[in-house]
Amino acid sequence: MTDTNDRDKKKISLPILQQPSTRRTALKIAGVTLGLAAFGKAISPLMVIPENVSLSEFLQQHYKELSEDDKKEIFARLESEAKENYGANVSISDPKPIPGVKFGYAINLSKCNGNGKCMEACNQENNHHRGVDQSYIRVLEMTKGSMDMEQGNTTYDHTVPQDDKYYMPVQCQQCDNPPCVTVCPVEATWKEDDGIVVVDYNWCIGCRYCEAACPYHARRFNWEQPEIPADEVNPNQGYLSNRIRPQGTMEKCHYCLHRTREGRAPACLEACPTGARVFGDLNDPDSDINWVLKNKRVFVLKEELGTRPSFFYFFD
Amino acid sequence: MSSTTDHELLTPDADRPVRSYPKFIWWGLGESTNGSPLFYLWMFILTAVALVGANAWAVQVADGMIVTNMTDHVSWGLYIANFTFMVGVAAGGVMMVIPAYLYRDKKMQDVVIVGEILAIAAIVMCLLFVVVDLGRPERFWHLIPGIGRFNWPMSMLTWDVIVLNVYLLLNLHICGYLLYMRFLGRKPNKTWYLPFVLISIFWAISIHTVTAFLYCGLGGRPFWNTALLAPRFLASAFVAGPALILIIFIVLRNLVGRNIDEAPSHLLIKIVRVTILINLLMVISEVFTEFYTGGAHTDSARYLFLGLHGHNALVPWIWTAVAFNVVAAVLFLSPWVFKRTSVLTIACVLAFIGAWIEKGMGLIVPGFVPSTLHEIVEYTPSLTEWKVSAGIWAFGLMILTVLLKLAIAVFRRQSEESLQ
Amino acid sequence: MRFSVDISRLIRRVRRRGSVNTSVAFGAAALVVVFAGLAWIFPPPENQNVSGQEDPLPSQLRSESAKLHPVVIRKPTGPPRVLTGQTDAHGNPITVSCSTCHSTRKPNSKTKSTKDLNEFHGSMVFAHGNLSCLSCHNPDDYDTLKLADNTRIEYRDVMTLCAQCHGQQKREFDHGAHGGMTGFWDRSRGPKFKNNCIDCHNPHTPKFPKMQPDFKPKDRFLDKVDH
Repeated sequence: MTDTNDRDKKKISLPILQQPSTRRTALKIAGVTLGLAAFGKAISPLMVIPENVSLSEFLQQHYKELSEDDKKEIFARLESEAKENYGANVSISDPKPIPGVKFGYAINLSKCNGNGKCMEACNQENNHHRGVDQSYIRVLEMTKGSMDMEQGNTTYDHTVPQDDKYYMPVQCQQCDNPPCVTVCPVEATWKEDDGIVVVDYNWCIGCRYCEAACPYHARRFNWEQPEIPADEVNPNQGYLSNRIRPQGTMEKCHYCLHRTREGRAPACLEACPTGARVFGDLNDPDSDINWVLKNKRVFVLKEELGTRPSFFYFFD
Repeated sequence: MSSTTDHELLTPDADRPVRSYPKFIWWGLGESTNGSPLFYLWMFILTAVALVGANAWAVQVADGMIVTNMTDHVSWGLYIANFTFMVGVAAGGVMMVIPAYLYRDKKMQDVVIVGEILAIAAIVMCLLFVVVDLGRPERFWHLIPGIGRFNWPMSMLTWDVIVLNVYLLLNLHICGYLLYMRFLGRKPNKTWYLPFVLISIFWAISIHTVTAFLYCGLGGRPFWNTALLAPRFLASAFVAGPALILIIFIVLRNLVGRNIDEAPSHLLIKIVRVTILINLLMVISEVFTEFYTGGAHTDSARYLFLGLHGHNALVPWIWTAVAFNVVAAVLFLSPWVFKRTSVLTIACVLAFIGAWIEKGMGLIVPGFVPSTLHEIVEYTPSLTEWKVSAGIWAFGLMILTVLLKLAIAVFRRQSEESLQ
Repeated sequence: MRFSVDISRLIRRVRRRGSVNTSVAFGAAALVVVFAGLAWIFPPPENQNVSGQEDPLPSQLRSESAKLHPVVIRKPTGPPRVLTGQTDAHGNPITVSCSTCHSTRKPNSKTKSTKDLNEFHGSMVFAHGNLSCLSCHNPDDYDTLKLADNTRIEYRDVMTLCAQCHGQQKREFDHGAHGGMTGFWDRSRGPKFKNNCIDCHNPHTPKFPKMQPDFKPKDRFLDKVDH
């Protein structure tokens, strides 16, 4: 011990360090105070949280625990926020699954020509961030003779269809065994009775585990607050679907549940100029979707993963 | 570090019998914040870096994670890479605990506290890396069982939250108890720490296994979807953890001049000699399976090692890691590693950095490239991400420094008392 | 070549079976069109369910419900009119019916391309298999069309004509797997609207036209690299 003490003594030569303990304690307290003040200054941008997130929003419970009165209050708050932040008069609804209905969707890959109108319709219908032309759909240009997505490309920019290509739109497959739901640590995403996997945008903590788990690149994260011009905001909004999403949360295709739960077709289907899309009730034996499943050779993407999609593909 | 001079000045305090645990903590805090100019400079730099990181994180929360370079394609980046690596470092400390308590290595028992302190600092860093990766950190309470909705046992992330926090508590208890007893000059009661030590051995394995399960359970990510991932994680953890502990020993010898027995260091070197080879073997197995089999699931590995369709951002990283790991293995296996501190230092630093690249950037990022739709979006961390990560590292090192100084103060006090 | 062969085979088959005018398949197809046409002409009263939240019908019953809203198929407005290039006193263009000219001309059943014509229709592009003009146009009344068995058919009912050869497409169309739709998937809540064949396929050049995609996701860092 002694040799080391000698060395220590040599090092400690500054007078400030040989102050009596009380003064040294005072210096330490001053240092800590300074440090804390600097820390407070450093994290001061966090003040936007109390500015933007009211106490009631902060304490808001999970969607499944909200009473009708809670919802009324929350929807009113969201509507006034849309007015304040986007200058748009919106109305937020909460359509419930139709009893006995399970949605299915199919795309005819012989028909799809990759024109991308579905993506555009999704962008407009679902109040997507305009800056990045966000949409829940990606259309892959695939090479004929291969089902390997490695041969695919989403950034093609030429007239379509090309003779040696076919086109494959991919969006949420609304899996019956959804890996994204399994991995969510806070149950912010779940599968509804009609098969639609939804997200509670006010419960999601933004860990993006679901985005890593999804084999279909179906999930999108709000890396920043979406920008939408006031006149482009779709005012017909669902709480679990196309309302303007908050920054830092996850979102995904919800089969336009604010439309489909009222019997209407999804926006991407209506926009498709080639008629490649078929939507309907899997539980109704006479539905269009069931006719396709019975009469076409239908496949699902990445079947080997056991996700059991409610989204199908077929060729003529 | 606190010198005799300082200590004499503090003797009025020390003379007063400090008995209660809070008072012991208070005493320790005072002791551990005394030190040389070098210590204050070190702490000043760490504080400055940590503050820069805190500021960068606060800006990230305010402006959104758009300030990172993560995308919907590469949705985890430097934060989760560091998180994964630090879980390994935390688990690596167990390579001291096992010989100390399972094989009753007396000399290892004397220094095992270093491994436990390292585990505490590393776990705190892990938790911080998870927090900074959240898009809505103010909603953290949704994760708290009881008041939030905790998706346990389905979500592996909830398992990770549990095992990391319990591991933190276990190590806080073991460290606190052993240091407190030593401070009081009492012999620790085995029933108060041995069960926890044994649990912590199991737990150290579990934190890294669970963290590997986070990734290898995802069927949509073929690069991670391998049963070898958890064993590989453990093998590289048992390289990186002991390597860092060896570095700490070298630093302590040089800086503090504290006389540390060579035996534990030598044992750790022997352990690393084995684990570094096991790790290399597993990497080779993985690489062989990927490349010999071929097919679409090889794309990530191809991207990582060779580049894919002209995209090769990670190629220099992974070959650096491979080179570091191989050189470190050669150095560790050479006899000079026992004789020359410089060789040991280089070997440890290379092994540590090699493991950091391999398990961080080399494991997390290629899992996302190409994306599940086989699009290639590359990722390099943004300045914000580097700042935040550096801040967390600085904070972790602050914790490590303060806790090590506290431990040293307790040991020094005990040896002085025994001299008196 | 294929089309004409198909048609002659079809005609032979129809004759063998002794049907007077239409085959059974044609009849079924026509029924759907007629029903849809009626629905289009007499739209049903607005259904309260359209905007309602509650759905009283389990899905099995939904399709059997008597209250189903119709499938409304858009119809061509009628026989085409030809611009004369002149305007009337109000400035409106003067158009004439096809029969104005064609009643004075001898039909040529061999004409398969506008190249064969020495006047009028010269700019028209024709690319529809190996059909001749008179495979579909009615030489007895140029303001109507004709089926393969020479049955006269109105322009409004052109889908019946198309369905002669394109039975698979017609079948798929009837089941919502061809041609797209707007409106309601759930017809207990509202009608479904569909196009007819010639809304998307020009009957003279039926191949669906090429398009230029004008909406692309603008992801950060997504290079335009063909891989």
